[in-house]
Amino acid sequence: MILIITASIIGVVLLFASFLLKHTSSLLHLVTVLFAALFGVAIWEALQPTAILTQSFYLDAIRVDRFTNQFNVLITGCLFLYILLMKKHIAAVGKYKAEYFALIAFIMVGIFMLSSFNSLLVMFLGIEIVSIPQYILAGSDKENLKSTEASLKYFLMGAFSTGFLLMGITLLYGATGNFMVSEFNFLQATSINPIALGGVLLLIVAFGFKVSAAPMHLWTPDVYDGTPTPFTAFMATIVKVAAFVGFMRLFQTSFTAISSSWSLVLAVVIALTLFVGNITAVFQQSVKRMLAYSSIAQAGFMLFAIISLNAIGRQGMLVYTVAYSVASICFFAILIKMKDYTYDGFNGLAKKQPFIAALATIYMLSLAGIPLTGGFMAKYYMLKAVLFEGSYMWLAIFALLMAAVSVYYYFKVIIAMYFKEGEAAMIDSFTKEEKLYLTIGALALLVVGIFPSLLTGTI
Amino acid sequence: MLSVLLNSPANTTINYLPIVIQLVVAIGFVAFMMSVTHLLGPKRRTSDKLANFESGIESVGNARQPMAIKYFLVAILFVLFDVEVIFFYPYAVNFKALGKEGFLAVLMFVAFFLVGFIYIRKRGALDWEE
Amino acid sequence: MPIQYYIFLSLALFSIGVMGTMMRRNAIIIFMCIELMLNAVNLLMVAFSNYWENSNAQIFVFFIMVVAAAEVAVGLAIITLVYRKVNSVDINILNRLKN
Repeated sequence: MILIITASIIGVVLLFASFLLKHTSSLLHLVTVLFAALFGVAIWEALQPTAILTQSFYLDAIRVDRFTNQFNVLITGCLFLYILLMKKHIAAVGKYKAEYFALIAFIMVGIFMLSSFNSLLVMFLGIEIVSIPQYILAGSDKENLKSTEASLKYFLMGAFSTGFLLMGITLLYGATGNFMVSEFNFLQATSINPIALGGVLLLIVAFGFKVSAAPMHLWTPDVYDGTPTPFTAFMATIVKVAAFVGFMRLFQTSFTAISSSWSLVLAVVIALTLFVGNITAVFQQSVKRMLAYSSIAQAGFMLFAIISLNAIGRQGMLVYTVAYSVASICFFAILIKMKDYTYDGFNGLAKKQPFIAALATIYMLSLAGIPLTGGFMAKYYMLKAVLFEGSYMWLAIFALLMAAVSVYYYFKVIIAMYFKEGEAAMIDSFTKEEKLYLTIGALALLVVGIFPSLLTGTI
Repeated sequence: MLSVLLNSPANTTINYLPIVIQLVVAIGFVAFMMSVTHLLGPKRRTSDKLANFESGIESVGNARQPMAIKYFLVAILFVLFDVEVIFFYPYAVNFKALGKEGFLAVLMFVAFFLVGFIYIRKRGALDWEE
Repeated sequence: MPIQYYIFLSLALFSIGVMGTMMRRNAIIIFMCIELMLNAVNLLMVAFSNYWENSNAQIFVFFIMVVAAAEVAVGLAIITLVYRKVNSVDINILNRLKN
């Protein structure tokens, strides 16, 4: 709860920082301090003796439980790593430097609301607080037409999905007469109300848009490609994981009893997402576009946490949060320095920068899900969760098949770096600090891959 | 007829009958007057008569010409600040019941509001001349 | 009046909005169709609020209106930005520029 307030205050402070601080370097120092403070508050809140209990705030509209606290620590940690790696590039996007960081802080407010809502009102506000600043961030490179196009497309699609979300919420309210997700009284009903079922399906569509599940994924590649790269790294990782946590929280608390009526729809969505994401990623020439499709493919795996409806799925979500976000953020931090975003741009990187190439290999292995990395453990937990549930064996086998396909396009990057001759032209060299942060990211992936119980042990 | 209307209990369909009669009469009157003037009135169409009436001054150019972008900005900001004020309605209704805590919450709401206003002032969104 | 009337009316409005969003090519009109969807939701919210005899949903309507206003502010700014660049708000032009 204190975390939400802290993030709002940080946003307001950063909004006015542009009037007080004239130099970019002092602004970046302030940003580092503030986001480190946010991380500190998240840890402090999780270490409170009351953190293992479920606390409720504001007439029970917000409920902070153990999972919320753990997730908040992990997501703010990922955010801090993102800020450390990207702050220089964010400040280089355009004129309004401090405002970009302020928008990121406001997005964090929405993310904390998504991880702790108990009322559909708070969920709706959380989703909107996350979405609206993203439309601005997508269009922040005002000189570039592609960025503007991405912004318009994202805005129209986002507003459209908001309509579905609201209709879903309204139908649920019509069926039950209240907005509290923990008290939906149709759970006890023997027959399913068609209005409630319509609401649940509309919510699947709306969340499908937000997490870019097929067939609602069509906006994703264009938007991620057009958005300035520092913000793509944010949207594709932290925000997407947060949307998943909101999705999971709603479906695990409210719709477990009627899961037989919606889980088949979700299973089809998952199969489509895995298929479209992985197969299309194979044919991409640009690495940035490949990462956009790979984020769709990873979304298919994360959806397992929602369909499986058990504690293993929740643990898997936490492992996925770290494994996927850290690997993607760090790889984006390398990609942003490259002159050429195609696979050919990576040719010969191993000769020129052996250390960076080794780190990039670890990130790619983790995204592909090779053992000993965090990505493997994340996928392992998800498959275990869905097999534990029992009824979706075919889906798990299909997911394994698609994971094998994904190895192809992730390894294409490694092959380009190690086995092809080329220049690997860079815009900018890596500073010592950046190398340190990238190493920390790689170590985190390895630690999660070997000891995943560090993250999941307490749930 | 009238006694039926007066004696019937509230909220039955028959209560709406006067409104229907009123509606039919109003629409009928408008339709009648318009058709009568159309049929009886003299018709002289000249280019002067079809031109827009601009208080006797000859009209110049097209009305749909681009306006300063500043105007758009002010209009958007007005919409934002205007709509946010609707939260005062539920507060006004429950003013007594919400007590001190509610007052503090509303005070915080207004404070955030003012922060936004100070920000747009400092950014120069409301400076008309540059 | 039975609640069904309200449900049919607002679902009809909502469907008009959805169809308009998918079929029209002008960004402003698409935007208006999205607003129509939101207003259909508002209508249904108030009707259900009356049906269940509690006022939760009416407060929710206020929040929808405020969020819609914020969305309008951002959305119109984006559309203005597009118009200044390509002198059109037709979304087909944007698709042509994709490759």
